[in-house]
Amino acid sequence: MAERSLKLEQAAAQSKERRKSRLQLKHVPSYLFLGAWSLFTILALSWVVLASLKTNREVFREPFSFPADPQFVNYERVWLNSQVGQSFLNSLVIVGLSVIVIIAVSAPASYILSRARFKGRGLLTMVFIAGIGIPYPLLFIPLFALLAGIKLINTIPGLILVYVSLSVPFTVYILTGFFSSLPSELEDAAVIDGATDFQVFRKVMLPLASPGLLTASIFNFIGLWNEFQLALIFIQDPGLRPLSLSLYTLKNSMTYSGDWAGLFAGVVIVVVPTIILFVILSERMISGMTLGSVK
Amino acid sequence: MKVSNRFIILLLLPASALYLTFFLVPTIQALVYSLYDWSGFGEAPRFIGMRNFQELMSDRLFWTSMGNTIAILIIGGIVIFGIAFVMTMMLSSGIRGKKFFRGVIFLPNIIAVIALTTLWGYMYTPRTGLFAAVFDALGLTELARFPWMGPDTIAAAMMIAIIWIEVGFYVVLLLAGVDKIPPDFYESAKLDGATDFQQFRHITVPLLSDVIAIGMVLWSIHAVKIFEFPFAFTGLEPNPNSYTVAVYLYILGFGQRQPIYRLGYATAVGVMLLLVVILIVLVLRRVTRREVYQY
Repeated sequence: MAERSLKLEQAAAQSKERRKSRLQLKHVPSYLFLGAWSLFTILALSWVVLASLKTNREVFREPFSFPADPQFVNYERVWLNSQVGQSFLNSLVIVGLSVIVIIAVSAPASYILSRARFKGRGLLTMVFIAGIGIPYPLLFIPLFALLAGIKLINTIPGLILVYVSLSVPFTVYILTGFFSSLPSELEDAAVIDGATDFQVFRKVMLPLASPGLLTASIFNFIGLWNEFQLALIFIQDPGLRPLSLSLYTLKNSMTYSGDWAGLFAGVVIVVVPTIILFVILSERMISGMTLGSVK
Repeated sequence: MKVSNRFIILLLLPASALYLTFFLVPTIQALVYSLYDWSGFGEAPRFIGMRNFQELMSDRLFWTSMGNTIAILIIGGIVIFGIAFVMTMMLSSGIRGKKFFRGVIFLPNIIAVIALTTLWGYMYTPRTGLFAAVFDALGLTELARFPWMGPDTIAAAMMIAIIWIEVGFYVVLLLAGVDKIPPDFYESAKLDGATDFQQFRHITVPLLSDVIAIGMVLWSIHAVKIFEFPFAFTGLEPNPNSYTVAVYLYILGFGQRQPIYRLGYATAVGVMLLLVVILIVLVLRRVTRREVYQY
């Protein structure tokens, strides 16, 4: 056993050395492929930022130059004239409130589904998670009829209600994975100390789960910030549109106005908040993404 | 943990009520509505049995959109998993900048699809678009004139963009799986003289099989409901050549400029979507059910 582990160590050291010496040759195709792919992505996105600061003439005449005189007026124009500013605020309200409610209803349910012992727990968990597999275009018409019945079509509360309900399965999936991974010692200790059920949940388990709650919040925030299909169906009033829907309208009106630079400014406004979140929190997102699926 | 029934019900109630009212009940209603002729939200539905489904069988547009959806699902899926696999192997081969590449490759996943369609729409624009400008600059005038958005190539053009968006998600998933494999598995295989390919074939693939299976289920669920990219790709009226099932359903139910309002028929399209998901999940479970390797 000892001999084997010694051999293993030697082999590891050897292969490390060999790896070093082969660094250039063996990895060249990897660097080329991954580098080309990444370069394409970075250049494409940077190009949009540059184009958003050009005049429309420059966008077409000199697609690869830097803007001669940065046209911040493009941003001003779409922010004020195309209701992008109003939509930005709408999105903050809609997405912010949705995420809060999603977590507020999903965290307690996930805690019970992963930690409490009761009959039918497995089945109930399955019913919740099955929602991930239901393609929600199927729900468009029944949901529209339902919301029309309670006068919530074309209202922000109505859209929030739809966002929250449709996000429950995915959020429960992530959070049950997270709650199950927590150790039970603290829970037991709290019970022995005479804490009530609610105190155990609120004072012990919820704080322990806060990294998971944060991860679930980021996912829902980014997903809903970018969401456009449900907003398209449930919101008609231009003043209530979330940002992604406004960008869609802007893209369509561009067909007539030809204002590509303004459109790209709109793209940047939509994209910047999620990119900032990603840059700050990418490690947490990437590790959280695989929470439920890679054990 | 043992907790009181009252506590269980209290914590499960909000999520369950929302999920039941705005997700499960509409799903059941959809199954019912698909058996009705229903020509507007103010009208009374009329029961017609399976006639909607009979009509679907000979509906050319339905089959075009189903063909596109299946093509995205299968061809797109093969290419995405192929590229993701290659990238995962490259990223885990000990190269530098692993986290950077992973982050950039994943990046399109957090950007609003509507922003990405704007970008790709401009790249593909003939004569004035970004690809045209690049090819012109390289002196490839033939390619610069290529009609990417023409009726024959639009589905392929769309597929390329979708692959670029989606690959990163599966790279992150597979990479997390690979990172979980203990390194001494490879070291002892090397000691026993296994080649790189043998290690890949006999260690990596079997130990990744459950991650791959989950990835394929997630991709299938996602792919069958793809809506935003094809919907927004071609401007105001989506091009019927690039319809997916979800787009066709939306057009039928909510229309574009001239609403059609075939609500029962549109819901029947949604039911077909659900059937496709169920079928895929059953097939995948069959195919991927192997022994689970514990390590």
